[in-house]
Amino acid sequence: MRFQPIDQFAAGLPADKRASVYQSTKTTHEKRTKLLFDQFTDPNRLRQLAGEIKQHALENLDTYLPKVEAKLKANGAQVHWASTGEAACQKVLEIMQARGATKMVKSKTMVSEEIELAKFLKPHGIEALETDLGEFIIQIDDDHPSHIVRPIIHKNRREIAQSFEREGLGAYNDDPETITRRARHFLRHKYLAADVGLTGANFVSAESGRIVLVTNEGNSRFCLAATKVHIALIGIEKIVPRDRDLGLLLNLLGRSGTAQDLTVYTEFINGPKSTAQPDGPEEMHVIFLDNGRTDVLASDCREILRCIRCGACLNVCPVYRQASGHAYRSVYPGPVGAVLSPLLMGGKFAQKADLPKASSLCGACHEVCPVNIPIPDLLLRLRNRAKEENVPSPGTPPMGAWALMASQPTAWKAALLGGKLLDYVPTKLIPVPALQAWSAQRALPAWRGGEFRKWMKQRKR
Amino acid sequence: MSDDREAILSRVRGALAPLHERAPLPVYDSEIAVMRSLIAGRDLAELFAERLKRVGGLTFTSPAELVAHLQAGQWRHGYCDPVLWPVLAPHFGPDFTVELTFDETRVDDYAFGITRAAAAIAESGTIILDDASTSRRLAALAPWVHVAVLARGTIFSDVTQAVAALGADRNVVWCTGPSKTADVEGILIEGVHGPGAQIALLV
Amino acid sequence: MLNSERSPLKGKRVQLMATCLCDAFYDDVAAATVEVLEHLGVEVVFPEGQTCCGQPAFNGGDWIASRKVVRHTVQTFAGEDPVVVPSGSCAAMLFHGAGLEFENEPDAPAVAALGRRTWELADYLVNGLGVKTWSGRYEATIAFHRSCHSRGTKSSEAALTLLQAVPGVRLVEFGEGEQCCGFGGTFSVSFPNISAAMGNLKLDHVRAAQPDVFVSGDMSCMMHLGGLAAKEGKPIKTQHLAQVLRDALKGGAR
Repeated sequence: MRFQPIDQFAAGLPADKRASVYQSTKTTHEKRTKLLFDQFTDPNRLRQLAGEIKQHALENLDTYLPKVEAKLKANGAQVHWASTGEAACQKVLEIMQARGATKMVKSKTMVSEEIELAKFLKPHGIEALETDLGEFIIQIDDDHPSHIVRPIIHKNRREIAQSFEREGLGAYNDDPETITRRARHFLRHKYLAADVGLTGANFVSAESGRIVLVTNEGNSRFCLAATKVHIALIGIEKIVPRDRDLGLLLNLLGRSGTAQDLTVYTEFINGPKSTAQPDGPEEMHVIFLDNGRTDVLASDCREILRCIRCGACLNVCPVYRQASGHAYRSVYPGPVGAVLSPLLMGGKFAQKADLPKASSLCGACHEVCPVNIPIPDLLLRLRNRAKEENVPSPGTPPMGAWALMASQPTAWKAALLGGKLLDYVPTKLIPVPALQAWSAQRALPAWRGGEFRKWMKQRKR
Repeated sequence: MSDDREAILSRVRGALAPLHERAPLPVYDSEIAVMRSLIAGRDLAELFAERLKRVGGLTFTSPAELVAHLQAGQWRHGYCDPVLWPVLAPHFGPDFTVELTFDETRVDDYAFGITRAAAAIAESGTIILDDASTSRRLAALAPWVHVAVLARGTIFSDVTQAVAALGADRNVVWCTGPSKTADVEGILIEGVHGPGAQIALLV
Repeated sequence: MLNSERSPLKGKRVQLMATCLCDAFYDDVAAATVEVLEHLGVEVVFPEGQTCCGQPAFNGGDWIASRKVVRHTVQTFAGEDPVVVPSGSCAAMLFHGAGLEFENEPDAPAVAALGRRTWELADYLVNGLGVKTWSGRYEATIAFHRSCHSRGTKSSEAALTLLQAVPGVRLVEFGEGEQCCGFGGTFSVSFPNISAAMGNLKLDHVRAAQPDVFVSGDMSCMMHLGGLAAKEGKPIKTQHLAQVLRDALKGGAR
């Protein structure tokens, strides 16, 4: 393999897909920026504060986790813990089987993608239906999401219309409104027939045990209006210290993710439904999931656990815009995924050690992150880790000889003169892969090695 | 599962043990996240209506206006919270069918649902529903049109205030405009699972 | 956002870090930097033993190799005098990147001390020396590229302040100015397709603005973009900020 896998994937991406990913990420990014800077005097201060709040929560999870557990129990929820994805899947299955439940409706949760819950439940005779429009389309196509917030950013309306036709959801019609209406009609009867509603959580307040869920479509609300059992599958990093911190974070989440002041539905769940309310879950289960998060917490990249999954870093990232989400071979793509996905691999880090290389280190991700994660620094730390673990890195020039030269002035000056060769030998004949890769698309400037030093010496002051 | 609890908490403690110091909780004034220049000097009901419109919703200030709107949209069959009906009934003509119970087996019969709002947020155009004020969660969600009857005095100026007032209700939901998606090619479509039309009736 | 805290300036003598790119390709940029500084009455010392800031290996993930070069750089630029660099990228390497790779090293304090007296050229001129005006004349429409490694620093604003001050210069904006040019050091050779696509996007935006000269504070971005344009047979004129300032003093575009 001559170049990095993500570069090869990008090169093979059809031009129309690249164009549509580019256009929609660019539009969302530009709207986000305008909104934040029009509405607040110091949006960067908001991002810094939000980052500090989440960092504090992470570094005090040893006190916050038991605290939130106690609050949730006091609110009437049952609390479970899962070290691994398999353990979480097993727990969900136990809860369902104990109630003879066979039908689950799912609100969009990245964690359930991460642990492949629907795939696990299927052979046990349990239908776990995605209700977010994008995720529903992913599910009927047996595809994978390519964006954290916009799972089908890689699909066009014609492909979706064909899928709907194939699934018996009506004759071919690629009008987005018709597609949406058909999904509305099909899914509402599924909600009403379901036994269990599964959601994730955007935030959990340690102070009150309040679970906060945001959706634009209202699907989590429908899950929690139509079913009698609520299972919330939550990564341990979702905790925030206090209710008042939610105000700041919610203000940032909607604006950063979709350029909205607030996401349409923001739910604050304080336990099973109240007795007077006819609709909604009588039973609530919270499953706290580790699945590698404590390894990340122990690493020098723990800041990545601040992430609130808004997708702003994907939208601004020039590499994501060229490569799209599937290039990252992970549930979490883009800059955040390039850090998080290899870390969540645990002992199999090497399999995704190429992801942190997929960045020009331009820093745009850090600049837009609502929780101010220094993503480029974390990418660099992981590159160093890959090198320390001797993971091969296609296309990356070796640095040992360069370092020797660059720490010995005599050798350096000799090389400056030797480089003159470049002017006389066609670059195609020089067997240095990096030079070949450079020259395939770019001209090299004329070699002027040592000229400045000469000028500096000769000039009279 | 209790084993996993201990295992996770012990890994968390292990991960944090090497830290010389823990990041402190920042001290901050929540005012920093308030759009003060938008709110300052404004009548909250007026601002709320303006902001709700911006996110695709509508505000009416009299039942007559509401009924005319439902009439015009040909939404003639709906549900109403029985507590509200005595006040609203005189405004609905004979061509309306309004049920005071919501039968989910006939979910598609209801073109509109009228329920009470617990409060609202002016800054964002948000209607706040909770279990105590919502007669049926489904009735405020499944019909195409949701009408939230909102008392003027319950409008918060901003998100920060509304968070401070979350209270003890088991389920509080903030609705900021009609249900939306942009999943298909980034094109905005309203009315995915929830209402395609979100209306506030100010009283 | 970057760790770019500066020690207060004393005196008007600086050490010039010419950068490896100027050492190898862009001698005129380094020369222009010297002329601009001397015009302002700054005494410029050029430590002969200098090589590179260490960034190529740092970005490539080979921190052992990179630290070797940084240690050499720390030795070479000894003393108290500020170090001025005509590159936002190399400057950021010294005041931010090096700190990261020396976090657990015994000589971290020496590295941090060098970082605190390292200045990107425009930042030094405007925020260090307080230069707000410029004399001479340079008749040109200029598009200015904000290089990525100046994000979170005062460098791009400083460069724009200077360009605006040059009589005859007309600044033009272009689309997606916050986007990267696609260079990214080793990224440009290990991700050549994405890198070139990013560069071509930038070139499209810049060409649409029809500048006479495309200017930056970082020659690495210019080498990539200029190289793409030249290979395509549609060369664009690129210059470093220092060259514009120097040429203005000499009375116009050269």
